[in-house]
Amino acid sequence: MASESNAVGIQELIGIVGKDRVSTDRELLLKYGRGGGLVPDGEPVCVVYPRDSEDIQRIVKLANAVGLNLVPRSSSIPGALGGAVPSGEGVIVDLSEMREIIRLDRRNKVALIEPGVTFGQLQAAAAAEGLKVLMPLIPGASGSVLASYLEREPITIPKYHWDMTDPLLCIEVIFGTGDMFRTGGAAGPGTLEEQWASGAAQKNPMGPAHTDFAKLVQGGQGTMGIVTWASVKLELLPRARRLFFIQAEDLGELQGFIYKALRLRLGDEFLVLNNFSLASILRENRERIGAMTRKQSTWTLVFCVAGYEYFPQERIAFQENDIREITRAFGLEMKEEIPGASAETMMRLLDNTAGGTHWKSRYSGGCRDIFFLTTLDRVAAFIEVMNKSLVTADYPMEEMGIYIQPIQHGRACHLEFNLPYDPDDINETEKVNNLLLRASEELLEAGAFFSRPYGPWARMAYARCPDSVEALKKVKGIVDPGGVMNRGKLCFTEEVRT
Amino acid sequence: MTLDDYRLDMMGCSRCSMCKWVPLNQVKSWRYARSCPSISKYNFHAYSGSGKMNVALSLLDGRIELDETVADIAYKCTLCGACDVSCKVYRDDIELCEVIEELRELCVTEGLLIPEHMIMIDSMKKEDNVFGEPKSERGNWAEGLGLKDVNSESADVLFHAGCRFSYDEDLRGKVRGSVRLLLDAGADIGIAGKEESCCGGRAYEVGYRGEMDNYADDVVARVKASGATVLVTPCSDCYSTFKYFYPRAGHELGVEVLHITEYIDRLVKDRRIALSHDVPLHVTYHDPCHLGRRGEPYLGKWEGDKLLRPLSRKRAGRNGIFDQPRDILKAIPGLKLSEMERVREYSWCCGAGGGVLEAHPDLALWSATERIREAGATGAEAIVTACPWCERSFIDAISEMGEEMAVYDLTELVTMSAGIGGE
Amino acid sequence: MMTDDVYREMESVVGEENISREPAILDSYAFQPFHRAEPGSWIHRPAAVVLPGSTGEVQQIVKICHRNKVSYKAHSTGWGAHSGPGKEGVIQIDLRRMDRILEIDEENMYVVVEPYAICAQVQAELMKRGLNLHIIGAGSSTSPLAACTSHMGMGFTGVSMGYSGRSVLGVEWVLPDGELLRLGSLGSGSGWFCGDGPGPSLRGIMRGWAGYDGGLGVFTGVAIKTFHWPGPREPEVEGLLFDTKTEVPDNFKVFLCYFPDYERWADAYYRIGEAEIAYIMSKNPIGAMIWAFTPHLMRKITDMPAIKTALKAAQHGCHVMIAANSPGDLDYQVKTLKRIIEETEGVLIDVKPPFESMLWWSGVRVSAVQAIFRPGGTFFVGLGGDEAVDNTMLQAKFGEKIKQDFIDRGLIYDDLADVMWGGLYEQGLFNHQEEIMIFNARDPRQAKAPEEFAKACARTAVEEHLGGIGFALFGGEKMHDLFSPVTSDYYKWEKKIKETWDPDDLSNQTFR
Repeated sequence: MASESNAVGIQELIGIVGKDRVSTDRELLLKYGRGGGLVPDGEPVCVVYPRDSEDIQRIVKLANAVGLNLVPRSSSIPGALGGAVPSGEGVIVDLSEMREIIRLDRRNKVALIEPGVTFGQLQAAAAAEGLKVLMPLIPGASGSVLASYLEREPITIPKYHWDMTDPLLCIEVIFGTGDMFRTGGAAGPGTLEEQWASGAAQKNPMGPAHTDFAKLVQGGQGTMGIVTWASVKLELLPRARRLFFIQAEDLGELQGFIYKALRLRLGDEFLVLNNFSLASILRENRERIGAMTRKQSTWTLVFCVAGYEYFPQERIAFQENDIREITRAFGLEMKEEIPGASAETMMRLLDNTAGGTHWKSRYSGGCRDIFFLTTLDRVAAFIEVMNKSLVTADYPMEEMGIYIQPIQHGRACHLEFNLPYDPDDINETEKVNNLLLRASEELLEAGAFFSRPYGPWARMAYARCPDSVEALKKVKGIVDPGGVMNRGKLCFTEEVRT
Repeated sequence: MTLDDYRLDMMGCSRCSMCKWVPLNQVKSWRYARSCPSISKYNFHAYSGSGKMNVALSLLDGRIELDETVADIAYKCTLCGACDVSCKVYRDDIELCEVIEELRELCVTEGLLIPEHMIMIDSMKKEDNVFGEPKSERGNWAEGLGLKDVNSESADVLFHAGCRFSYDEDLRGKVRGSVRLLLDAGADIGIAGKEESCCGGRAYEVGYRGEMDNYADDVVARVKASGATVLVTPCSDCYSTFKYFYPRAGHELGVEVLHITEYIDRLVKDRRIALSHDVPLHVTYHDPCHLGRRGEPYLGKWEGDKLLRPLSRKRAGRNGIFDQPRDILKAIPGLKLSEMERVREYSWCCGAGGGVLEAHPDLALWSATERIREAGATGAEAIVTACPWCERSFIDAISEMGEEMAVYDLTELVTMSAGIGGE
Repeated sequence: MMTDDVYREMESVVGEENISREPAILDSYAFQPFHRAEPGSWIHRPAAVVLPGSTGEVQQIVKICHRNKVSYKAHSTGWGAHSGPGKEGVIQIDLRRMDRILEIDEENMYVVVEPYAICAQVQAELMKRGLNLHIIGAGSSTSPLAACTSHMGMGFTGVSMGYSGRSVLGVEWVLPDGELLRLGSLGSGSGWFCGDGPGPSLRGIMRGWAGYDGGLGVFTGVAIKTFHWPGPREPEVEGLLFDTKTEVPDNFKVFLCYFPDYERWADAYYRIGEAEIAYIMSKNPIGAMIWAFTPHLMRKITDMPAIKTALKAAQHGCHVMIAANSPGDLDYQVKTLKRIIEETEGVLIDVKPPFESMLWWSGVRVSAVQAIFRPGGTFFVGLGGDEAVDNTMLQAKFGEKIKQDFIDRGLIYDDLADVMWGGLYEQGLFNHQEEIMIFNARDPRQAKAPEEFAKACARTAVEEHLGGIGFALFGGEKMHDLFSPVTSDYYKWEKKIKETWDPDDLSNQTFR
């Protein structure tokens, strides 16, 4: 947006949402523009807080008319990877105030939520109905459920992860053209109210018809349009549940067990942490995390078994028994207590959002994450690649967290490396940023699939799939021909050529 | 019947393509899931059972002309009936094989003739056999066996060797052994020798219906004159012709018709043949189409809505001769039988039938090769069957493939186990 | 258009034995009585048929078509009018030579297939490794690739394995201009395990609830999710269908469940889904079943109202198969099912041999449903889709009324107006229902029924907000005109997609 038209744009935005819903506060703009060293700092010209779909539709149409760059974000806290940092100038469309849970349906185990609804908020509402929100691993309390789902963050219960879109179902999106579109069962016929009256609950995530626009919006970092509400899957809050740990020094010892248990769809929450990540979750500060790390085995598999409405204890009993048999076959041992944590403690942690400082930042104040998708049998090889990068970068190996989250019933896994650093230390920041860049390149070279390519990963990831880039640009040309949605992100930049 | 009588059958095809596969219940692997040699080799849908019906309907509807392509589609088919079996798992009102037969007859009546078939028919007319071999040599195979000549004396059992066993020198030992086996069991056997004629089934299958009628009259007369009560044939093609085509065309033989495996099975069960010698072989059994699914007896014409036809009247291939050969093999001590994936009514064809061996030997060889591979996959060292046409096909395929597998007529193994020495 | 030069160019790619323009050959591709509303069984005759043997050959053929502005239409098993040309001058690409199973990854539970490997083949090979795949209701003679990339995707195992459109991992896709697009991890050189990303998932262009049925390029390979198979690796089964004999393994149980009304039936579905039990769950319409199994009997009872009423009492029900991984699992599932049936005032029939054998194996192999073609030769579905159970029950109620009217007018077979073939998906995410009506396309009066039936169903779906457009898609462009304005204008967007990737409609979409 040319500087002269900024003022015009802002005035028009004020005309749409009202004066008190547009901010040009310098401090705020600086916060929203911070790139954190991995992406250049952005230049937000204002922050606009729409109230509803209608506001958003008008904002997008305005953007097309005057050439604004709209950068949608659902949480008020900036993300670390630059997805919502404007490339150059941009209008931040902050959706955090659209936080209504429009409908919560116990019978159909579904909620219809606005983008600003947080995990904590939805969890409380769902629990009151005997339902449970599918969460990523200990998300921030103010984290937007919708943003997390739109970004395909992995959830901790692989048996509920059927397709990559889960737990997202239907969305209402305002495309970059300003057109409103509803996907899946929500598309119609009928308004939401009419659909509810006919027993529908926006549960079919596919289509409508031959195209699945939700899939094109998801993972799009706001480049295709702005999602104004979504239906999301909820699951039953277990009537009873038990948590177990299995520890091992070598990941290979766990691999066969994980494959077997997930294949039989045993277990609810099911994830693997290395000693440093586990300690970071269990303890609050650097010293205690260090001490706890040393007490743990290298790897800890955490899983729950649960019972629901029918014979909950019996369900737990047979699952526990079946799992125990598998552990025996693999020479492993299920425990309800590990150093520094009981099953209850761990369960409480997994069930809640992060309080205070996020667990990843507790050690050094900040954390850089590298995450991608792969299959479980290849995880060890990627860890080796990562370890080599650590050595080259002179980064202490024992201070790297590793989180392995099986997804899609165990067909693949999210592999995440957490690199704590002190954000106030310029040298350390630069060092970890360089490590992240170099390691990411090496991991990609080794076959890591960076399915969520934020910031610098976009260039690297899209260089490997020029055919996808060409197709994505065509999609973008359909839903955002004016290029008003979050410019310069993903492959929608001059840097990435087909 | 004419093709037009099958219009509703053809219109009723849902194009589901079941005709291309063994019945779904019985698909056991990726490799051996196909049932139809024709579509499996030529790939265009027209070559499937469904496709042939589509083509025939298109002809009737005047959408296409009867041309060489239609003939190619109609005749690059062993008429093995596998498509018909798979179709009838689900359908009562489609007689797929009969549509193909009518299509072929139309080709013949319209003068769209296959040169190799014309030669065969000419041979039949001249020498009463499909090979054009001298009629006078037809009975040579039985020299020295001391069989009765039914042209001059009566016998309980009329043994009809068929064209292939009568003239194929490579198979001669097999047919002679089988007769010796029956004699040893005390059967009163006669043959027609040089007066034995082709059954005419092959002519019928390639569309020359009148030819079969001529032979049927001849065979019926000879059977009656022989005074035999049982007609036994070691040839599955002849068997199917006698059991199904003859009565359907109104020719009643008036005697019990048995394939030699049925007859031997009786003799074994009656303890007239003792299977006492070990035959230490690992074998697999190939169901000849004309003995198995196409070996069902004719049960009369069904008038009216085929949907109301009782299942017992549906020619679904299940009432062919499947158990007797297996019972015999299982009774042979020391012999190990491993089944192929495609067996019984969903067996894969040897490739020889329906005029294919004569007109499209490459298809015949390909189909036989496919079967030998399937046999090899069981781990068996030999393939056993009960039809000289299948045996010829397999012998040729094995030779072409450079494989080691042995080919036995089932009677040979019985002969070994019964301790009847070779010649 | 298709000229001699174009033909010769394609011939040079596939060889003369794999291309034809002989009228007889072509007409075998023009007979498609199934899945179309219009009367008659002949569709447009293709201009030629070509049988490519590899992805490279498909690309070359498509590029020739693209260069010469010749339309083409690819199919795998080619069952249904949607797989044939929707206009004149179309080259039919028959993919039957591409029939391989390219890879089975046992640990990561997926199988990679070419277009013409059929479900029965893939299942047989998977079972040897203790795995299984979701097979669509049309049966195991269908192509899993087509179900995943191009068509729909409902089947008996939906409750435990989900819907085909959601079972897709990596995809190899020849775009309408002949260029290759590999989706997800495959496109990034990371293997077949994921079909989404980087960034937005192009699976969204590939298909929605349904696919484009060959209307947006050619799919040459797909990785499909597989699932644990707790049964025998090489099941020993005798018989072809109704005569099936086999030993049902101890860890399987087959039940028939019946409920007093739609409401309690729906309650049971919700509870079964929540309890996370069942391997197979399928409502099989009672009238259609009797037609399929014993058409003679059904003919006899159509004018016996009392008998019909008695039979229809079983309309609110389903077939449930339980497959357990341990004795504890089996006990739990059976006990839970019994409790649910008790709570919903249903009746549970523990199916015994020999019917158990048939239900077990035909359920797993999906080998019985094709008998629905037995009475009339074909059927049509006019109303149906996937949504919350309550919504699909409402669909069924309306469907029942619509169908009874057609039965009363003698336009379709009397199947007791019992509707709803379908079942739960993903342990209750949604329910599938479809309004099946049996008719005889050979009867000139009945042949016209689908068109009118489709319209009646579509009108009701729109007026009563019956969730999704579902099977209306087979009604053609007129249906889009009816639905699109009240369904987010989806057709406007689909047209944009089509125009972007295939502006000349070369990749022929039969029912646009």
